[in-house]
Formats: sequence, C-alpha cells, structure tokens
Amino acid sequence: MEFERNHMKYEDYKLEHFLCDEFFVKWVKNPDENTKHFWEKWLVANPQKREIVFEAAQFIKSITYQERPELSNEAYLELFENIIRFEEGELSAKKKTTREGSWFSFFSLRKIAAVLLCCFCTWVIWDIFKSYDKELKTETHLITKSNPKGIKSSIGLSDGTIIHLNSDSELIYPSEFSDSLRLVTLKGEAFFEVSKESRPFKVQMDQAVVEVLGTEFNVNQSSNNQFAVALISGKVKVNDNLGNQVVLDPSEMLVMEKDGNFYKSTFDSLEIVGWKDKNLIFNEDDFSEVKSKLENWYGIEISIKGQVSKKWAYTGQYHDEILTNVLEGIKQTSRIQYKINGKRVEITL
Amino acid sequence: MTISTARISLFNKEVVKIFESKSDLEVWNSFNKGDEMAFNYLYRTYAGVLFQFGCQFSKDQMLVQDSIQNLFISLRKKRGSLSEVSNIKGYLLRSIQREVLRNGKKTSSKMVLDDSQMDSFFQIELSPETSFIQRESADQRKIQLQEALKKLTAKQRQAILLFYEEELSYKEIAQIMDFNEVKSARKLIYRALSSLKEFIKPTI
Repeated sequence: MEFERNHMKYEDYKLEHFLCDEFFVKWVKNPDENTKHFWEKWLVANPQKREIVFEAAQFIKSITYQERPELSNEAYLELFENIIRFEEGELSAKKKTTREGSWFSFFSLRKIAAVLLCCFCTWVIWDIFKSYDKELKTETHLITKSNPKGIKSSIGLSDGTIIHLNSDSELIYPSEFSDSLRLVTLKGEAFFEVSKESRPFKVQMDQAVVEVLGTEFNVNQSSNNQFAVALISGKVKVNDNLGNQVVLDPSEMLVMEKDGNFYKSTFDSLEIVGWKDKNLIFNEDDFSEVKSKLENWYGIEISIKGQVSKKWAYTGQYHDEILTNVLEGIKQTSRIQYKINGKRVEITL
Repeated sequence: MTISTARISLFNKEVVKIFESKSDLEVWNSFNKGDEMAFNYLYRTYAGVLFQFGCQFSKDQMLVQDSIQNLFISLRKKRGSLSEVSNIKGYLLRSIQREVLRNGKKTSSKMVLDDSQMDSFFQIELSPETSFIQRESADQRKIQLQEALKKLTAKQRQAILLFYEEELSYKEIAQIMDFNEVKSARKLIYRALSSLKEFIKPTI
C-alpha cells in the first residue's frame, strides 16, 4: 500500500512521496554536505523531475505556524533568572509574572517551605554576623547596573571613583563602602579610574580579584571565560581563585585563559581601552569577531548570507561613528553588502 | 557565583559557538554533568521554540511561560541522573507539551481541552514568499490550499508542522504524539499530504 515508497526509487517518486521523504525534507529545510551532494547530483541526472522537486520544495518551505507569538525580551530574561535562582533559594518575592491563582499549584508547598527555610537561615546567619562585625551595621544596599548590548555608561561611586561600564556588562556596588574596603563585582568589561585613598579597592570577578590603591585600568572578562586586566597607570595586584598572585606595572596586561594559565603582555591602549572614548577598533579581526563587536556596540542582530572566507580579516578604527558609516567602511575594503532593517542587519558576503 | 556566571553568558554569543558544533548527545551530557554553559545554550536555543510550540496548545501566554520555567527547573533538579537524549528538540517539545497540558488542566478556563476546540490547535499558514504567487491562477490555488489545510485534523497539522517547521524525524514525531510505532506518524503525514497534493501541483 502506501508505504511501498520505502522501497521505491527516487526516480519513481511522485510529489507526495517527495513531501514525505525525510532525506528530501532535510535537504530542503537544512541542507548539509550529504543531502546537498546527493540531491544536486540527482537533479542533474533526472532533469525531468526538476519541476516536481521545485514544487515540493516550495510547499515544504512555505508551511509555517499561523500563530507565531514571540517570547518578549523581558520574559526571556526573567524566566532565565527565575530558573537559575530557583535552586539558590532566592526565588522568594522575585516572581512577578505568576498569577496568584496558580502560585500554589505552580510551586508546591514543600518548595515554598524550602525557600522560606533558606531565607530564615540566611537571616539568622546574617543576624549573628551583624552582632560580631560592627562594620556591617551601616545601612548600605547593593546597586546593580546592567548594560545591555549597545549601551555604555559611566558610574560615579561614593568614594569618587569613576567606572566606565561597557555594553553587555554588569557592575554591582554598594551605595556606601565600608570603613576598610571598597569592593565591587564585575561581569563583562569596565574601565576604572580609582580615586586614591587608604582603603583598598577590589574588583571581584568570577576567576580573580583585582586589587588596587589608586590607578587606571581596564578589566575584561570575555565570553569564553578569558579574563584580561590592562593597567594604564598606578599598580594593581591580581589574585586568582587558585591562589596565584600577579602584580602589574603600567602598560602591562595580564591575560588569564579559561584553563587557569596566564601570561603578561604589552597592549595597544587604543585597542584595549579605546571603547570608553567611543573608539571602535578592529585589528585583523575575523568575521565572527567583527560581527560580535558590531552586535555589542550597536545592540543589533546580524545575520549572514553567503560563505565567510577563512582569509577574511578586517582592520579599521572608528570614532563615535554611526552604524551605517562603519558598515560602509567595511564594505569599501572587504567587499560585503548589507541591509539595515531596524535592529536587524543582514550582511551578504 | 553560579548565578552570575550563568547570567552574564546569557548575553554572550560565544556560548553558542562552543556548543554549536557538538552533537545533541554531547550537549545533553554536559548539561547533565552540571555545566552551566550547556544549560545556557539550551535555554537560549530552545526558549523561543518552546514558547511558540507551547502557544499552539494554549492562548494563555503566561501559562506557557510558567510551563517553560517549570520544565527547566525540573530538568536542572534532575541533573546527574538524566537519561541520554539524542534529539534535544524532540525531547523538549514533548516535555513542554506535557507541561502545558497539565498546567492547563489545573487552571482550566482559557485552556482548550475538548475535541471540538482542539480543532483550532496548530493552524498552518502559507508564507507569502512562495512561488505560487507569481504565477497566474496562483492566488486561487493558494486560497484552495489554505482551505484544504484548514480541513486537516489538528493532529495532522501538528504532525506536518513538526515535520517541516521543526524539522523533526518520524521517530521523534511519533514520540511527541504518543504513537507506539513510527509508522503511525508516517501514515498520518502521508494521508494528510496526499489530500493536499491536487492543490500543490502546478498543472492538472
């Protein structure tokens, strides 16, 4: 009956057989080496089937959901945070989205009890600490400053320190520093102009703590967990989680790989800290680097058409330039075409 | 520190690069071992897909969001003892379907449950970029095709969408749709498409 086509040859296929064939659908929707190799050769050998193959492919490609709601950015981030925080016992009052009615069905009483217990324990421990450590008595609260892609900002701290926070980065700092320490937490990249005084200034990162007295330096924790501190002036000490300590002099940069290996090098200050003065720098960057820099800088999404050549590289400098001018610049030297569609940019190579 | 690691990398495209070249099995194993990056990759890759798919079952978008949250929380809790998954998308779609339907039952009302209303699930649209349009009488044919698609059962439409739009195999479709045998999925899709073929063909 209808499943005979399992043993049918492709040349005997009718429209509906193509439509039902996994190997054919794969080629139409998401071609890879195998499917391409086969079907392109097959079409050459069977030109009489071209039309029917074309119709089948068009039909397969045109099928889509009528309802295509998109998860809003806000919901996307909030859900993620709720999921991550759940096991940390921090969910408590965080969840705004759930309607009251489904709250109980959603999180069982046992889970709520667990969360409450964690909160209680935290409170007890905090209370004990408070009585021991008078420094904690000051009424400070933590402030979180998060920059999405495309947004950079400068933050003045209570001690006069200025921090330039790059896009796609986050800084957590107290409204007031304690008497003995100035501690901030950073994810991503920031340039610090630390005001000189007796209390040490520390930047807590995932992999290390950077400690300084008064100085200018740049800290960058990149996505692949590589971590770099570049020092402009003054002196900094870097302590990683494994107990290593490195002291940096001006014009030195410390790079720490994700496997824990680290090395010192010099750096081009324009390239490393140029971003805070609105300099967008490309230095022999391959296409994926250029793409991610542009996406971060302008807060856009780039889609690519065509094949990226392995040799493709781009060098250029832009100061406070709008996106079109940068793309135009890249187009001039590196033969790309682009289309800007609001926050979406399509680049054809 | 786990929060921050996971959180920052949500914005970082590099995470995708690390896992893109890996097989589903490898990604899933990393996730099972507690790799936050792997979780991050799963979330960013599938949150939107799950939302769209879940919304086919319920008009209540909050309910679908809650379901996605529940699903990931429970998966994270089971890390270390998760069984192997060779097709993550298929597995997650199956799980979210179960979760949405279960949550929907609890809150009832807005949820579509009985068969007559089931008919409205998984409506198919023909995207306009198709070649039909450029040809004479193409409009007419497109309308007919759209009508014919509406006449399919919700199950047939779901199967077709899973097959084309989600690019799943018959095996995964059978699992999602609770068929014991893969050939039931084949049969379902074959019958549906056979009924459409006269509207797809250019001539005759």
